[in-house]
Amino acid sequence: MLIELKGVHKTYNNGQPLHVLKGIDLNIEKGEFVSIMGASGSGKSTLLNILGILDNYDEGTYHLAGTLIKDLSERQAADYRNRMIGFVFQSFNLISFKTAVENVELPLYYQGVSRKERHAKAMEYLEKLGLTDWSHHFPNEMSGGQKQRVAIARALITQPQIILADEPTGALDSKTSVEVMQLLKRLNQEDGITIIVVTHESGVANETDKIIHIKDGIIGEIEENTRHTAWDGPMMK
Amino acid sequence: MRELFHEIASTLRNNKLRTALTGFAVSWGIFLLICLLGAGNGLMNSFMGNMEDYISQSITVEGWRTSKPYAGYQEGRIIQLDQQDIRYTKGTQWEGIIENVSSSTTSQSATLSLNGKTVNGWLMGVMPDYMEQQKLKLAAGRFINPADIRENGKVIVISAAQAKELLPGEPAGIIGKWINLGAIPFRVVGVYHTDERDYRRTTPVPYSTYKVIYDSSDKIESITFNVNGPQTLEQHQAFEKAYGSGIKRLHSIAPDDNRGIWINNGYTDNMQMNKASRLIRRALWILGILTLISGIVGVSNIMLITVKERTHEFGIRKAIGARPGEILKLIIAESITITAIFGYIGMFIGMVACQIMDKTVGQRAVDLGVEKIQMLVNPTVGLDIALEATLLLIIAGTLAGAIPAWKAARVKPIEALRAE
Ligand SMILES: Nc1ncnc2c1ncn2[C@@H]1O[C@H](COP(=O)(O)OP(=O)(O)OP(=O)(O)O)[C@@H](O)[C@H]1O
Ligand SMILES: [Mg+2]
Repeated sequence: MLIELKGVHKTYNNGQPLHVLKGIDLNIEKGEFVSIMGASGSGKSTLLNILGILDNYDEGTYHLAGTLIKDLSERQAADYRNRMIGFVFQSFNLISFKTAVENVELPLYYQGVSRKERHAKAMEYLEKLGLTDWSHHFPNEMSGGQKQRVAIARALITQPQIILADEPTGALDSKTSVEVMQLLKRLNQEDGITIIVVTHESGVANETDKIIHIKDGIIGEIEENTRHTAWDGPMMK
Repeated sequence: MRELFHEIASTLRNNKLRTALTGFAVSWGIFLLICLLGAGNGLMNSFMGNMEDYISQSITVEGWRTSKPYAGYQEGRIIQLDQQDIRYTKGTQWEGIIENVSSSTTSQSATLSLNGKTVNGWLMGVMPDYMEQQKLKLAAGRFINPADIRENGKVIVISAAQAKELLPGEPAGIIGKWINLGAIPFRVVGVYHTDERDYRRTTPVPYSTYKVIYDSSDKIESITFNVNGPQTLEQHQAFEKAYGSGIKRLHSIAPDDNRGIWINNGYTDNMQMNKASRLIRRALWILGILTLISGIVGVSNIMLITVKERTHEFGIRKAIGARPGEILKLIIAESITITAIFGYIGMFIGMVACQIMDKTVGQRAVDLGVEKIQMLVNPTVGLDIALEATLLLIIAGTLAGAIPAWKAARVKPIEALRAE
C-alpha cells in the first residue's frame, strides 16, 4: 500500500474554526491512476495538500510507503516531497524569472545534483514532453498547455513515486486538457507512476481508473472506472 | 557553494530592477558615509593643521597698556618689560615650575638688501629657544645657536619669502651670503619655512648682537618659558594669576587690572583647541552613525519587501523540496552578494569623490584678509576605515535580511504557495 489514510481530520482555525476533513479513510495502491471529485469547498485540495505533506492534519494517521507522516520537521517533509512526490498545480506555479529548463532543473538542485547533470536530465524530460524548442523560454512566453507540460516535467525529474495534480486542467482549454490527461495516462501506464488528480470535471475524472468522491469531509462513493465509462459525453463540457 | 552562487547569479540577473534598487540603496549609503568622513577629515586636518602650526607648548609674557590708574600712574600707560622681569621669572620662587626662560629684545623694522634687491624685515634679537617657541620650521641652514649669542655673531635668519625676493631659487642658495641691514652686513645662517598663507617677516638675530648694535637698554619685548606643574585649565589660570601678580608689583600695575601685562598661554590654547577638535570629531561620528543607520534601514527595508514579494516563489521551492535552511541560505547569500558588490562600488565612487574634493575644494584657500586658510586639507578616508564601514553595512544588511529570511524559511509551504 502506497498511501494509507485512517481517520484523518483537518480543521482550519482562521477565526471561525472550519472542520473540513471529518475522518478520511483512503487507500491507494502503487501504480493507481485515481481522481478525486467533489463539490467546491468539499476539501479536495485540503486532502491533496495533506497527501503532498504541504500541510499537516489534526487527527488520524497517514502512511506514505509504510512511513507514518506525522509531525515531521520541515526538513524531513522537504526531503519526502523532493524524493517521493511530484506536484502539478492548476496555476502551474513555475518560477517566472527562470526559463523552462531552469524550472525543471530546480528539484535536482535541491538534491545536490551537479549543474551539468541536472541540465542534461532536464533537457531529456523536456524532450520527452515535446518542449525542446521551448527550453530557454520564460513561462510568460509559453501557452497554458506548454506551461503545464513544463510543470509536469519538473514533477517527473526526480522520478517520484506519486504525482499529485490539483486541477491540472483547470486553467486549460478543452483540447489542451485532453493532451495533458493523455500525458498523465501515458506516464501512469508506461512508467507505473501513481497519479492522483483532483478535478471537478467528470470528463477529466473519466480518464482515470478510479474515481473517489468526497462529500461533507468524508469519502463517499469510490467508482471503479477501468473501462472509462463513468462519463459518456465528450471529455470536456 | 558554487551551485548556490550560480543560483544567486541567475536570480539577480533575472530581477534586474530589484537588484538595481537594492544595490543603489547600499551604494548610496556607503557613498554618503565615505564623502562625509572624507570632508570631516579634511575639516579636522585643516583645523588642526592651521592651529598646530602656530601654537607652541609655552607661555609668552608681553607688556600691555594698563586699564586702571594705580600708585599715582594714569591709566593707559604702556608697560615695558625689562631685565628685572627676567630675574623675577628665573627667581627661586618659580624654581621647578618655570623652565627654559628666554626673552626677545625690542624690535624694529629694517630693510634687508642683497645685490641691489631689497625686502622688508622685522628685526628682533632672540634666544635659540625662539625657534621652537614660535614653531619656526627651517627650510635651510640652522637657527641662531648659543655660540652666536656668546660671540655677538652678526648672523641672521630670514623667511623663505624674503630669501626668494633677495635671491630667486632654492632657499639654500642664500645661506652664507652677507646681506645688509642698513649699513651693517649680516651673514644669513638659516631660512625658515613660510608658505603663501604665511606673512611672517620677522628676521631673528642673536639677542646679544641686537643689544650691542641697536638697543643697549635693558628693555625686552617678551619673556617666554615652559611650565612644569599646572595641568588643568584651572591650575593654569591659578598659575597665571600668581605669576602675573609679581610682574604687576614690579611695574606698579593695579593688582585687579586685567591689562598691563599680556600672558599668552599656549598650553591652555592647546587644551581649548583639543576640546574643539574633540567636539568636531564627536559630531562627525554622530553624523556618520546616523548615515550608516539610514543606510541599514534602507537596505533592511528593501530586504523585507523583497522577501515578502517572493513568498510565493519560496512556496514553490519548498513544494519541490527546498529545505527551510536552503531558503535561508538563498536569501542571506543574495543579500551578502548585493551589499558586497554594491557596497564596494559605493565605496569606490566615494573614494573617487574624496579625491575630487581634494583636488578642487582642498586646493582652494579662503582669504581671511590677514591670512589664508585652506578649507579642507587632505579630505580623504583611509582604506581601512572605508572597508570597515562597508563591512559594517554588509553585516548590518545581512542581519537585517536575516530576520525576514528566517520568517520566510519557517512559513509552511502551503501558506507560502497561497501568498500572491
Ligand atoms: N487556509 C485556509 N484557511 C481557512 N479555511 C480554508 C483554508 N483553505 C481552505 N479553506 C476552506 O476549507 C474548505 C475546503 O477547501 P478546499 O480548498 O480543500 O476545497 P476544494 O474542495 O479544493 O474546493 P475547490 O473545488 O473550490 O477547489 C473551504 O471552505 C475553504 O474555504
Ligand atoms: Mg481546490
